[in-house]
Amino acid sequence: MRMDTVIMGGGLSALACGISLAKRGKRVTIVASGQSTMLFNGGSMELLGCIDGKPVEKPLEAIATLPGSHPYSKIGADRIAALSERVKLLFSDSGIEMTGSANANHWRITPMGVAKPAWLTLNDHLRIDDLNNLPAKHLALMCVRGFFDLPNAMLAQGLRDLGFEVDMIEFTTDDITSLRRSPSEMRATSLAKRLVSNHALQRVADQLNSLAGEADMVLMPSVFGQTDSSDFQTLQAMTRKPLRLVATLPPSVAGMRMMTQLRHYFRMLGGTYLMGDTAVSGTFEGDKLTSVTTAKLGDMPLKADNFVLATGSFVSRGLRADYERVYEPVLGVDLDVDNDREHWTSFGVLQPQAYFGYGVATDEQLRCLKNGKPIQNLRAIGSVLSGHDSVKMGDGTGVSLMTAIAAADHIRENK
Amino acid sequence: MAERMQLCNISENNFEQCTKCSICTTVCPVAAVTTDYPGPKQAGPDGERYRLKDPAYFDKALKLCLNCKRCEVACPSGVHIADIIQHARMRATMGKRASLRDTMLANTDLLGTMANLVAPVANATLGLSPTKLVMHSVMAIDKHRTFPAYSRQKFTTWFKRHAAKEQDAFAHHVSYFHGCYVNYNFPKLGQDLVKLMNAVGYGVHLLDKEQCCGVALIANGLYKQAMRQGRTNIDSIRKSVNRDHRVVLTTSSSCTFNMRDEYPSMLGIENEDVRNSINLATRFIYNLVDEEKIKLIFKQNYKRRIAYHTACHMQRMGWQLYSIELLRMIPGLDLVELEQNCCGISGTYGFKKENYERSQAIGATLFKDIADAKVEAVATDCETCKWQIEMSTSLPVENPISILADALDIEATRQANLISD
Amino acid sequence: MVTNDIYNKEYDVIIVGGGATGAGTARDCALRGLSVLLVERNDYSTGATGRNHGLMHSGARYAVTDGESASECISENMILRRIARHCVEETDGLFITLPEDDLQYQQTFVEACQRAGISADIIDPEEARRIEPAVNPQLIGAVRVPDAAIDPFRLTVGNLLDARLHGAETLNYHEVEGLIINQNRVEGVKLLNKLNGERIEVRSRVVVNAAGIWGQRIAQTAGVNISMFPARGALLIFGHRVNNMVINRCRKPANADILVPDDTVCVIGTTSDRIPIETVDDMRVTREEVDVLLKEGVKIAPSLATTRIIRAYAGVRPLVASDDDPSGRSISRGIVCLDHAKRDGLESFITITGGKMMTYRLMGEIATNAVCAKLGNTAPCVTANQPLPGSEEDGPNQGDLTKRYSFGQRAAIGRHGSLAARIEKDNDIDNALVCECEGVTVGEIKYAVHQLHVHNLVNLRRRTRVGMGTCQGKLCSCRAASLMGEFSHDVKRAQEDLAAFLDERWKGMRPVAWGDTLREAQLTASIYEGLCGLDTAVNLQGKEDVQ
Repeated sequence: MRMDTVIMGGGLSALACGISLAKRGKRVTIVASGQSTMLFNGGSMELLGCIDGKPVEKPLEAIATLPGSHPYSKIGADRIAALSERVKLLFSDSGIEMTGSANANHWRITPMGVAKPAWLTLNDHLRIDDLNNLPAKHLALMCVRGFFDLPNAMLAQGLRDLGFEVDMIEFTTDDITSLRRSPSEMRATSLAKRLVSNHALQRVADQLNSLAGEADMVLMPSVFGQTDSSDFQTLQAMTRKPLRLVATLPPSVAGMRMMTQLRHYFRMLGGTYLMGDTAVSGTFEGDKLTSVTTAKLGDMPLKADNFVLATGSFVSRGLRADYERVYEPVLGVDLDVDNDREHWTSFGVLQPQAYFGYGVATDEQLRCLKNGKPIQNLRAIGSVLSGHDSVKMGDGTGVSLMTAIAAADHIRENK
Repeated sequence: MAERMQLCNISENNFEQCTKCSICTTVCPVAAVTTDYPGPKQAGPDGERYRLKDPAYFDKALKLCLNCKRCEVACPSGVHIADIIQHARMRATMGKRASLRDTMLANTDLLGTMANLVAPVANATLGLSPTKLVMHSVMAIDKHRTFPAYSRQKFTTWFKRHAAKEQDAFAHHVSYFHGCYVNYNFPKLGQDLVKLMNAVGYGVHLLDKEQCCGVALIANGLYKQAMRQGRTNIDSIRKSVNRDHRVVLTTSSSCTFNMRDEYPSMLGIENEDVRNSINLATRFIYNLVDEEKIKLIFKQNYKRRIAYHTACHMQRMGWQLYSIELLRMIPGLDLVELEQNCCGISGTYGFKKENYERSQAIGATLFKDIADAKVEAVATDCETCKWQIEMSTSLPVENPISILADALDIEATRQANLISD
Repeated sequence: MVTNDIYNKEYDVIIVGGGATGAGTARDCALRGLSVLLVERNDYSTGATGRNHGLMHSGARYAVTDGESASECISENMILRRIARHCVEETDGLFITLPEDDLQYQQTFVEACQRAGISADIIDPEEARRIEPAVNPQLIGAVRVPDAAIDPFRLTVGNLLDARLHGAETLNYHEVEGLIINQNRVEGVKLLNKLNGERIEVRSRVVVNAAGIWGQRIAQTAGVNISMFPARGALLIFGHRVNNMVINRCRKPANADILVPDDTVCVIGTTSDRIPIETVDDMRVTREEVDVLLKEGVKIAPSLATTRIIRAYAGVRPLVASDDDPSGRSISRGIVCLDHAKRDGLESFITITGGKMMTYRLMGEIATNAVCAKLGNTAPCVTANQPLPGSEEDGPNQGDLTKRYSFGQRAAIGRHGSLAARIEKDNDIDNALVCECEGVTVGEIKYAVHQLHVHNLVNLRRRTRVGMGTCQGKLCSCRAASLMGEFSHDVKRAQEDLAAFLDERWKGMRPVAWGDTLREAQLTASIYEGLCGLDTAVNLQGKEDVQ
């Protein structure tokens, strides 16, 4: 099967790259090893949240100070502003409603009530632009009875520390109670499946309307709208007070929604998304990759002019670590790693962990290297790249998106 | 360390790769509609650790699993979640007798053979309300279900009488595993395949001996019978591949998946030597077109709007793109790719009285998507999806091979492939 | 919990140390009618009790080298099967001979077992492969013995519960800083309450030092010298059970020669290294220890080579030094009971040490006998016959659970035996699973927090198995922390506790952080730091050990 571009990996960066290419009429196939780490996303994108433990206020300015090994520096710090506008366009074209600016971070509110710097946040999620000017004074935190994937008390405490007045109000509806009959399956995503009909949403709204009291904003766990924001909008229309959502523990409804929207848009543009298949090996000719074999297509490999490696970090199995080394399992490309196991990790769980910065080595055009030489038509994007730290720097989603679009540009330029 | 140690953390129980990310729970169609089912994570990797400690941890709720494999498709860690659940069921029920109802439902070929002999009577009888009521109450087959109509003439009978002779004349050859559905219920699909393959220069042959692939036997706990039939089939397939040098084509995604993947993993039937020679017809044909070995010439003025539904096992195999790409080659065919949702029938599961409501609830999303798509027909590679969608939406459902055969200018195609030979 | 004001009370006996031995001594003393206070500086079973194989020895391992220990083991083994049914899994064990081992040793071994009263049947290697498919198929000999698996956390809690039922009081997080000594007589202990920093003195007629390896320090505070022999042993936990019988090597005891199926996991161990007494609190496992355990472990069960390791841990055996053997293996693991009045001229002070987790009851009996002798109490010991709470014959049965999906309730009965009846399960919320790997429900957590002395998540883990599954607390630690915060109304503490719990889990994961364990760690970090910002919310600096 012949394509213009084959993308290995199916997460955020793969879809952003795939959409950018498909939009220009390219035939693109995405090979996705199952669902992606977007299902652990809290409804925000981060460009750069933290440097040396300190929150970043102005990401574009801070990006200019990053070392040359950081993916942003490889793309060119001066290009990030323009790319960030294209990401916003890509999202709005996909139907994802997010707001934010690359010039100045805003704050997202985590399930534990921590304010973390963010670049874009879903419009229906709680965000704070200015910690000295909160979007509401008095919040009604509506706690879903029997739902344990949001630590309500920690959230409330965190919000109070930020200066909100918070009432914690427990509530339930018939739909929620009946779901709790399951000992294991009361998750954010299963609530989102239950709370879709107008009747179910009305029952929630009735509770919010009668219990929210004096609050001037109602806060709910993010359990609405797996495919788009319409369930939230219906609920908001039924609710007398402004309503905002807060991310829960995974699986994340917001992440699922964004992935569904991106996938849908990609398919609409004619892209092929192979869910549940995995690239297992590639065939090289000289300094080019000519085809990729997948687990399921088997003896019918995918041929293409260009290839993109977007297989993610260790958690997504884009990088593997065994007893004695770290390697890239599909194509065996060069990595920036330290192969001494003692150096991979630190003793304290919350200390920086070196392995987060490990990944695929590339040149300035994001081309992968093999034995130090660039593969002309193979680019790496997203979490599989070395030189960044999604947890300690808050740059994971940003790197995924920026490198995705930058790689798409390179592919179009280099015929 | 010199030994090959910890190179990958994979033991036979590959649930070890599970990171408890819970993504599988978001796609389970059963857990979405009932709280009686603990969901794939609990039923699969979580439960398995306890069942290894003590088989008494097996829970009857695992029977509610459809074996749709959507959890496996979604799993980012490559855990064979549904296989773990099926194996647990197998260990717990091995040696126990299946009910008469389950045995009857599972033996699609036996039921077919009897019904073919008396097709008009069988069709009338199985469709009658009193009969349905007896089946509902005595046999626990849901009264809402209509058994697929039985054909008066079996596919194999038709083939031997009307097609077999001409097949040797072609330059290339394939074998055809028609399956129970084509043989007893819908010979037209088999006839369409023969027509299509002949047009592109391929002769079609039956296997030495074909038995029901056993997908329903496995689902109903009749493992020993499934093993016997599976071995017979693989023996016949081996003869076709090794003796006759013919790959084996199928037109049913479930038969294909079962023979390629479930035979070794569920039944312990070794098929590695011939696994790649068991191919879905759409994949085989697509590949021939892609490699420019054949040409397809389509009718002028063909105009239809059709939605493609990816059957669960099709998705598990990851082969829907071949059917979709083939259909997209048809000029004038407006193809809508439906979101991947389970129809709820899962072979014989939805036929059982206790599962009927759940089955329909699972399919509801798909039925709504189909209604929204405003199409005149639905295409799918699975026969049981066909029954379910036809019953639940009243739209006709066709196999991509039939659509292709219908859209093809047979004579022009035949000529084009003669020349290219 | 302490019911009365402990300041004004004089106890018959204070027991220092909340491991199996201390708990067993407290139970025995209480059953003989003494008024008892047990104090533990950390949580119950944090020392060697909670840091071993979880193996209920048949005694066969010691039969050749130490007949006395072997006899003690088999006799206690039979007792524990009766009195601690819910802590014991009757797996039986194999002693296998591999081609590299001397098959002659098998005969020596079997004869020694017979002398000690341990049934030891030589079986055909083929039969061994059949009954335990995980065993190295190249084995050339096998002996079947009545080894079993035992859960030391449950065992300790069971003893404490029974002690309390009989009037004993127990305090965890109370460290003994010194003894109250009046003219060559110990009259009580000076305690630091580690939860609130208060210092208190509590009086008693006798003090029993059951502090394991830390007993040397306790004795030192009274000027008494006990020369302990700290022998460190490291172990690895695998993600699931590959074996269903205990597998030992039939040879002289050496590194990593026992594989034990413990609950849902299996454990290979141990190494043995003499360490300086100053380092007994450093439980971190080194790369070399991991290498040895893995290399030797695959000889017992080859599938360990490709089975996920979920954590590594180490413990220190509290052996009493008698010679200068650097391996520590030829020293008797026999029980040592020191009456310091006779030995050192210090009245009312007894040290019980040596021994093994599985002879804890006998150690308790010996220590209690010594206490009773001092106090003139003549009540007989009944601990060998009276079942522990949870092990009574009646109570909920897993077989009764037929209706709805009941994994959590089933697992709870497995863990708490008849005490599972105390776990609330009559509504959907109490039945909700907090820890999905190990089937721990909200009801079980409530029970543990309210009735089993739980101050933090690590305590909760020891009582319930929360966070002990393959994911090491991915979602359950947040759920459990949230519940704990609800009970204590102290959210900040719950959050810090959560971070400390994740840190404790990480300590065990780090030495084996490759493959899926590294993936697991990255996902956990992404959730708790990336998604939740826990690293911003709490500051663990200064709370970690600096080494």
